[in-house]
Amino acid sequence: MTSQTHTHLLQECRTCGGRAPVDVHFCPSCTKILTIGRQGDYFSFLGLPRKLNLDVAAVEQQFRVLSRQFHPDYFYNATPTERRASLERSSYLNDAYRTLKQPASRVAYLLDVEGVLKPADHEAGKLAPASLLEEVFALNEELDEVRDMRTGGAPDAEWRARLAAAAAPIEAKRAEHEAQLGELSNQWDALPSGDQTARTAVLGALRERVLERNYINNLLATIERETTGAVGPQL
Amino acid sequence: MSKVVGIDLGTTNSLVAYVKDGAPFVIRDQSGDGLVPSIVSAAPDGTIYVGREAQRRLLTDPRRTVYSVKRFMGKGIDDVQGDAKLLPFQVSGEPGGVVRIGLGDREFTPPEVSAFVLRELKRRAEEHLAEQGEFDNEVDRAVITVPAYFNDAQRTATRDAGRIAGLEVLRIINEPTAAALAYGLDKKNQGVIAVYDFGGGTFDISILRVEDGVFQVLSTNGDTHLGGDDIDLLIVERILADLASPTPQHALPEGFSAQHTPESIQEIRKAVIQAKWDLSELDDTDLLGVRLTRAAFEAMIRPVIDRTLAPCRRALTDASLQASDVDEVVLVGGSTRMPLVRRLVGELFGRTPHSELNPDEVVAVGAALQADILVTGNREMLLLDVTPLSLGIETMGGVVSKIILRNSTIPATGSEMFTTGVDNQTAVDIHVLQGERELVGDNRSLARFRLRGIPPMPAGMPRVQVQFQIDANGILSVTASELRTNVEQTIEVKPSYGLTDDQVEQMLIDSFEHAEADFAARMLIEARNEAESVIIATEKTLRSPEFPSIAAEELTEAEQKRIVQALAGLKHVIKSDSRDSIIQWTTVLNEATKHLAEVAMNRSVRAALTGKNVDTV
Repeated sequence: MTSQTHTHLLQECRTCGGRAPVDVHFCPSCTKILTIGRQGDYFSFLGLPRKLNLDVAAVEQQFRVLSRQFHPDYFYNATPTERRASLERSSYLNDAYRTLKQPASRVAYLLDVEGVLKPADHEAGKLAPASLLEEVFALNEELDEVRDMRTGGAPDAEWRARLAAAAAPIEAKRAEHEAQLGELSNQWDALPSGDQTARTAVLGALRERVLERNYINNLLATIERETTGAVGPQL
Repeated sequence: MSKVVGIDLGTTNSLVAYVKDGAPFVIRDQSGDGLVPSIVSAAPDGTIYVGREAQRRLLTDPRRTVYSVKRFMGKGIDDVQGDAKLLPFQVSGEPGGVVRIGLGDREFTPPEVSAFVLRELKRRAEEHLAEQGEFDNEVDRAVITVPAYFNDAQRTATRDAGRIAGLEVLRIINEPTAAALAYGLDKKNQGVIAVYDFGGGTFDISILRVEDGVFQVLSTNGDTHLGGDDIDLLIVERILADLASPTPQHALPEGFSAQHTPESIQEIRKAVIQAKWDLSELDDTDLLGVRLTRAAFEAMIRPVIDRTLAPCRRALTDASLQASDVDEVVLVGGSTRMPLVRRLVGELFGRTPHSELNPDEVVAVGAALQADILVTGNREMLLLDVTPLSLGIETMGGVVSKIILRNSTIPATGSEMFTTGVDNQTAVDIHVLQGERELVGDNRSLARFRLRGIPPMPAGMPRVQVQFQIDANGILSVTASELRTNVEQTIEVKPSYGLTDDQVEQMLIDSFEHAEADFAARMLIEARNEAESVIIATEKTLRSPEFPSIAAEELTEAEQKRIVQALAGLKHVIKSDSRDSIIQWTTVLNEATKHLAEVAMNRSVRAALTGKNVDTV
């Protein structure tokens, strides 16, 4: 589903029963706030293009403008339908803002609304991607050895140095992935909307990089836990 | 139209404020005091006292007097064992159930005890509005503040307290956010504000971005169990240890033993609090016969203050900011009067904190402003707050799966898909938790739900979507539907440490039954206050240098005798709980001193006129 198609869809106003285009927040007939029913996506809800390089200041500005229109504070004396609509629309706005504000969650969301994420991808953080198997094996061996060192009573500085050394190549890998993600994001933003083949190709590449990057982050978090977890008992 | 108020329901003190023609006012008593001590006391006859009178009774009848009840809101008995140790009142409850507090001969839940305080605030507000000549002075709606770091159970308990007190709670708002709103009133500030709120029992830090009149909370952190109380307790324990030693340095006043009796502990606590206050102004003071310098005091309490700094750093990290990004620091709460707090907060953020507004009153003012926004629809300012703790559900192996992350702007939603594990299973149990830890046992259990009415299907087929909604109060509600059949699910909510709607309803009814006794208590206090002022005025006249000559020249012996008798009589009955006797004796003393008062008045008028003549000659 692309953004062009939703403009033809309609949502129903629960106050007057009239019809309103999707991604319009107030009923064109009776001016009342609309409940969240059939809506587009976070990008269109905020009136933003479906792009990966967004002007964060503009996103924040839009968030404040819409908050002032939807917030439950301003519907205290309204009808139950309007109050419910205000709660739903504010919640959706907050969720949308939170998701699109950060580049990492923004790209994941794009993949989701473009339909390229598979159900299994949500669990993919636990499965090592083939391209990273070598690094994962090396790290696991290293972590085992560090644990042995610690139980063997090795000095702090020694095993900490080993952990830092183990983290270095993975951090380099992450930097590499971030750079690639940046490059792919630029490609996506520059694509003409009609070029379906190119879109599919860029999305596929983005998906792969995102899944790998998530896995890399998990590996780094594991190292972090090894480092800080060991400090615990000494406190 | 009935009025709305903003209420700061504090651990130590509570306040009520309202907005008139756009300007906020704190409601005060005749002596200008806006603080109502959050203390409730029950006389042996069942009469309930709240505020200053209850505070006095804390020294004379500590076993029947309850304070710091905010620490028990939304808690189970297992959570509060440590707290209950040094408190004079009875704290009980069944494991897994709500805490019960012994107040006199009855037992109350924490929301019921808080409701006594709220009812007193409501009464004060109504009385004040009547004095202002308001035609409709009924106060039946309020915005009540809570610490930002309060969890769902604590927020719900606060809302229940409002309902039991007969108040419709328009909104629960966070104390530091309310304070920011109060500060934003006259300065159209833009930028990043840190609100450091260190009160009697709780500590909060909130980081906000203020732009275009929108107060957006970026992050919040804190400790709902860290406040001035902890400082008092620390020093009380030191003194108790000293008194128990073979060579104690501290001395208790006459008539008090060094034993751990509720009376002696309250006496020590009172002296400690006074010394703490003194040391905010002075370099040294006397604490039960021992000289205490500010430096020594600060060395003792430093560990407690230090515990507030780690949450500040975490809040900055969560907001993706450095301390240097903060434009303004605002201090809230009585404990920020301590110079050490100001110094350490100033060092942490690298700037002098604001304390222009009274730190005791600023939260109630903010609550009143928010109440005004809600009822008038005034759109000048908007508060966007966050949920302080992540919300999750229990998954396999006792691990928590997070659904709404902490510091998400509220209202917020989250959803999770469930399925069945057995063929034709029609119900699924769901355990909702709040907290940041990985394991179920380390988080706060909020509620257990049973999803019923799932259509019978092979295991793993049903797709039940559970929707979690956190509203603008930070309070959770849950809905669910089975996506394949579109069947809405029935959810039974059993709050882990809360009250059911029926229980709250019953408590509201109970409170009406006791309203008569409460009314009697207030009448007694008023009679006592009146008697006290007559006694003070009489004694003042009797002690004045002119009295011997007035008595000799103008009063008969019988008159003099009557005054002395009436004074002694009133001073005797004022201690009793008989309102009628107090009023009778007040009338008697008034009558007895009538002639004396006239004579004294005439003399002072004459003296004034004479003085004027001399001056003008």
